[in-house]
Amino acid sequence: MYEFDWSSIPGALPFLWEGMKVSLGITACAVLFGIAWGTLLAMARLSSIKPLAWLAAGYVNLFRAIPLVMVLLWFFLIVPQVLRGFFNLDPNTDVRLASALVGFALFEAAYYSEIIRAGIQSVPKGQISAASALGMSYAQAMRLVVLPQAFRNMVPLLLTQAIVLFQDTSLVYVSALADFFGAAYKVGDRDGRLVELLLFAGAVYFLICFAASQAVRHYQKKLNAHAAH
Amino acid sequence: MISIQNVSKHYGAFQVLTDCSTEVKKGEVIVVCGPSGSGKSTLIKCVNGLEPFQSGTITVDGISVGDPKTDLPRLRSRVGMVFQHFELFPHMSITDNLTIAQIKVLGRGRDAATDKGLKLLDRVGLKAHADKFPGQLSGGQQQRVAIARALAMDPICMLFDEPTSALDPEMINEVLDVMVELAQEGMTMMCVTHEMGFAKKVANRILFMDKGQIVEDDAKDAFFGNPRSERARQFLAKILTH
Repeated sequence: MYEFDWSSIPGALPFLWEGMKVSLGITACAVLFGIAWGTLLAMARLSSIKPLAWLAAGYVNLFRAIPLVMVLLWFFLIVPQVLRGFFNLDPNTDVRLASALVGFALFEAAYYSEIIRAGIQSVPKGQISAASALGMSYAQAMRLVVLPQAFRNMVPLLLTQAIVLFQDTSLVYVSALADFFGAAYKVGDRDGRLVELLLFAGAVYFLICFAASQAVRHYQKKLNAHAAH
Repeated sequence: MISIQNVSKHYGAFQVLTDCSTEVKKGEVIVVCGPSGSGKSTLIKCVNGLEPFQSGTITVDGISVGDPKTDLPRLRSRVGMVFQHFELFPHMSITDNLTIAQIKVLGRGRDAATDKGLKLLDRVGLKAHADKFPGQLSGGQQQRVAIARALAMDPICMLFDEPTSALDPEMINEVLDVMVELAQEGMTMMCVTHEMGFAKKVANRILFMDKGQIVEDDAKDAFFGNPRSERARQFLAKILTH
């Protein structure tokens, strides 16, 4: 019978916390950049300029059809070379974090753009007509009238996607970057207590994600109640 | 003020407007009526370029709407439009609805815009609702706010696209009252509506449309007294029996 021994966890907490900061940092960056880039992609896809719409559709379909872990690995292998080439970096500079960030952001933008596209389409066409009739340019109508309503409708979906993203950050282990999962793995490996550490890491992921999705659900209920009245 | 010359429009093979011509002089009130699908709404949306058209010309205050060189947003900012479904911006307070275009399009200061917006809100009898959101108002109230929002831009003319057809019957009059008052003050108006009471009261001319064509373009009394076309006679007989 396997004897559980949790004693290596308390001492490793500061190291694990450092890993958690990396995970949260990647999540935050990928969410922000993914929403910004995803919004542009969504608008390009809905644009009446056909080549622009095709390019955006190609981008979205490409990234949605490739496993995330592969994208991360590519960026781990390619981006460091590119960055070093562009910025003349010392070959020993650690660009793993940067490559992970770029990979996540570009990948997530494809998913966010689909959520945002649906959000934009959920705003009645008459709203654009009304904004145009008041003399607003297309850009003003989008920025002042359509996008604020679209984002309000989308917030629950965007947050849910952020929770998925937070779980996916564990995939950066392919680049040996010490995110929370990577840190837990390292500690477990060092102390020969892999089972305990991975169970602990799983419990932490579960608590954070479960709490976050409950919060999203609560928010969505409030939003629906608001919309109904 | 508004000149429509030989305007035609088609979606693919489907002809929506065929060779429509009319003239709206300053201070005139024109009512556009006709069966549904006759192209009335499309015609009025062509006037401020919300709908493109393939041939013919429309000029508003001497500016050609169809000319690619025309600054359409600038022209639209001078032409008020009221929609069937109000189209207030639901994420903004009533005050913000009234001021946003004044500030962002006309470049007015916030204080001046608010002042103007609230004056017009008072005029349509809704001053007490300035801080509410559109969803908290009835349909009739929302439409009156929409009229005030258009008037806040100091338009040279107003377009109404079936302003009362989405309203409950008991709310129609509050909106028509505002429109009648506006007409009596000399606003140039083009109204797509089935409200024949309104037409009889303030219209100078009636356009009757059928199948994308302007079948009648008559002075009000001639239209109601003795419409020339059989189609208009049938239409009037149907909507005026009750």
